[in-house]
Amino acid sequence: MNATTANAILLVGHPNVGKSVLFHRLTGAYVNVSNYPGTTVEVTRASARFDPQAALLDTPGVLALPSRSDDERATMRALLNESSRCLVQVGDAKNLRRTLTLTALLAELGVPMVLALNMHDEATARGVTVDIPALAEQLAIPVLATVATGGEGIGELTGSVARAGVADRMLRYDPAREADIEALAAAITEHAPHPRLAARGLAILFLGNDSEVEGWLREHAGDAYGQLDNLRKNAVDRAPGDLPGLLARERTEAADALAATVTRRAVNSSPLLSQRIGQAVVHPLWGIPILLAVLYAVYQFVGVFGATTLVGLLEEDLFEGILNPGFTGLVQGWFGEGLLSELLVGDYGLWTMGMTYALALILPIVTTFFIAFGVLEDSGYLPRLSVIANRLFAAIGLNGRAVLPMVLGLGCVTMATLTTRILHSPRERLITVFLLALAIPCSAQLGVVLGMLGGVSFSAVLIWTLAMVGVLLLAGFLAAKLIPGRRIPLVTELPPMRLPIAGNVVKKTAGRLKWYLIEVIPLFLIGTFLMFALDKVGILPAIIEAGEPLVSGWLGLPKEASAAFVMGFLRRDFGATGLFAMADALDPIQAIVGMITITLFIPCFASLLMMVKERGMKTAVAMVAIIVPFAFFIGGLFNLALRALW
Amino acid sequence: MSQHNEARLPLAFIAPGSEVRLAGLGDEIDPLQREQLTAYGLAETQSLKVLQQKPMTVILADQVELALEHAVARHIWVVS
Repeated sequence: MNATTANAILLVGHPNVGKSVLFHRLTGAYVNVSNYPGTTVEVTRASARFDPQAALLDTPGVLALPSRSDDERATMRALLNESSRCLVQVGDAKNLRRTLTLTALLAELGVPMVLALNMHDEATARGVTVDIPALAEQLAIPVLATVATGGEGIGELTGSVARAGVADRMLRYDPAREADIEALAAAITEHAPHPRLAARGLAILFLGNDSEVEGWLREHAGDAYGQLDNLRKNAVDRAPGDLPGLLARERTEAADALAATVTRRAVNSSPLLSQRIGQAVVHPLWGIPILLAVLYAVYQFVGVFGATTLVGLLEEDLFEGILNPGFTGLVQGWFGEGLLSELLVGDYGLWTMGMTYALALILPIVTTFFIAFGVLEDSGYLPRLSVIANRLFAAIGLNGRAVLPMVLGLGCVTMATLTTRILHSPRERLITVFLLALAIPCSAQLGVVLGMLGGVSFSAVLIWTLAMVGVLLLAGFLAAKLIPGRRIPLVTELPPMRLPIAGNVVKKTAGRLKWYLIEVIPLFLIGTFLMFALDKVGILPAIIEAGEPLVSGWLGLPKEASAAFVMGFLRRDFGATGLFAMADALDPIQAIVGMITITLFIPCFASLLMMVKERGMKTAVAMVAIIVPFAFFIGGLFNLALRALW
Repeated sequence: MSQHNEARLPLAFIAPGSEVRLAGLGDEIDPLQREQLTAYGLAETQSLKVLQQKPMTVILADQVELALEHAVARHIWVVS
């Protein structure tokens, strides 16, 4: 990449206004884009197509500045630390008031900017018209209408970046607040001038208790920081209420006034079909049947079509029928019957086990899952689940917002662990990371479970589902009781429902599959090699023997299933696939118990590393120490209960 | 001559389909959540349409749908 950060263009805006889609349009780089807030949790950068010398930075959505949440802090750090030449504020054309509330603060930073009013088509459909030339004149910056998903207005936007200008101030605060801002700005100019950001903007953020700005000033003002802090304390004492709140309210009023002068609304326009559907899916009566219908459709597509039909075609017909016999013959022809042949095509062969598991068993399942997930994401259905699930999540000390990482976890627990940053309190994040690690199967594992238990009976799938939900609720309930802190009630935006765009779903699926192939195939090959090595030096048979009391005695599984649990330490789905491969040797109860135990097992190695990154080594080790014995304990209980009742 | 009812009511008490104006955010709401609500554009005199009350309060404010738990909606005061 030729782009340098000294020539950066920052995309900034509220969550779910289309920054990441715009980023893709402007760079060609793929970001995991979804129709719900909080998709981008870290800054992503790539060269701009229209100027290869410029780096374009996609920042996490900010509900408001000064920053309060992790994603807002990440954006604030980008504003403070990146050598940006301009900001592109991406706003929601149908809610200009909210967009301008953020503009009122960004304008104070003194950085050249452009305002892209995105989702212009949705605004028009709702009868909202913005007088763009008038707004551009008022703000003294280029303002454009864009539809990032359809590519409209992108050419004009790239052209306008060269004309970016410093926006006119949108307001003068109350005289007393202005005096405080000016005094603080003068002190910042003297003691900690920022190379790009205006001292006045930093003063407003500092008065608003922005922790990132506070940290930056503390670092750069040295001994004079105390003087800045005293000025803030004096301002807080003089304010007739909560100072950050007062400043925010004045910005909202200014945005309200400007929005009113440049926006026209059609009177009494009837709700759009998308709005009616959006309301139906969270309706107290219709919401649950719609959810069940969605789950059934996903089960049919992933569990039946993906895990049965496609796996049958690939595994039985292509791999077992054609590729594996051919490859085995070729290898044995070249290398004879020795160790190398066994390494490649033996019981724990890199091809016959590693590649066959990854390509024939898992790939069709994750492909169908990623397509189904992409359709749900693009439609805007997922955030509405938070409304339906809120009461359930309240029982485990969380609110419905946690449904997003949980559902994302059904795609990939590693990514979902990262997105727990969208939750507002450390307590919520800790509980959610624990539950993700314990009871949320990733797409690959889910597909294997559906494929294996779907082949047993629908009742088997139902028992496994009830077991997972039961464990999730029980563990969540206990975690909520043990972890100090209080539950935060849910307040969330519900993005509009949209007809999924095939191109977006294909791009997302392709991006995820690329990630899957890059991450999973090497791990499957390493895992297979470890199994081969353990087998050859006699450790695997010893583990199988040593694990017999636990695996056969307590869980009621064949002793060979120990090998699957050894594999599960590398990836849960690798372990689950190991059980899937021995499905013919298992009775229905063994299949259910095996899948319950392996699902509750520790997640893959990658998600373990993410747990360490997000929650620290001590917490991650503690979670693993709880999860592994708990998985075997619950599996054994189900073995006893099912054998007593079945 | 039309008569305006200026009695302040909790948002959680308003029937679905009604249009109301925001009169204020109660002090019982957590300060961070108040900031969040302000950031969503909930300011005094803002007009809101109540879409539903179960399982949560869902409102339409300036073309943005917001879902609020009753624990929060009970402390948002509105006038009809």
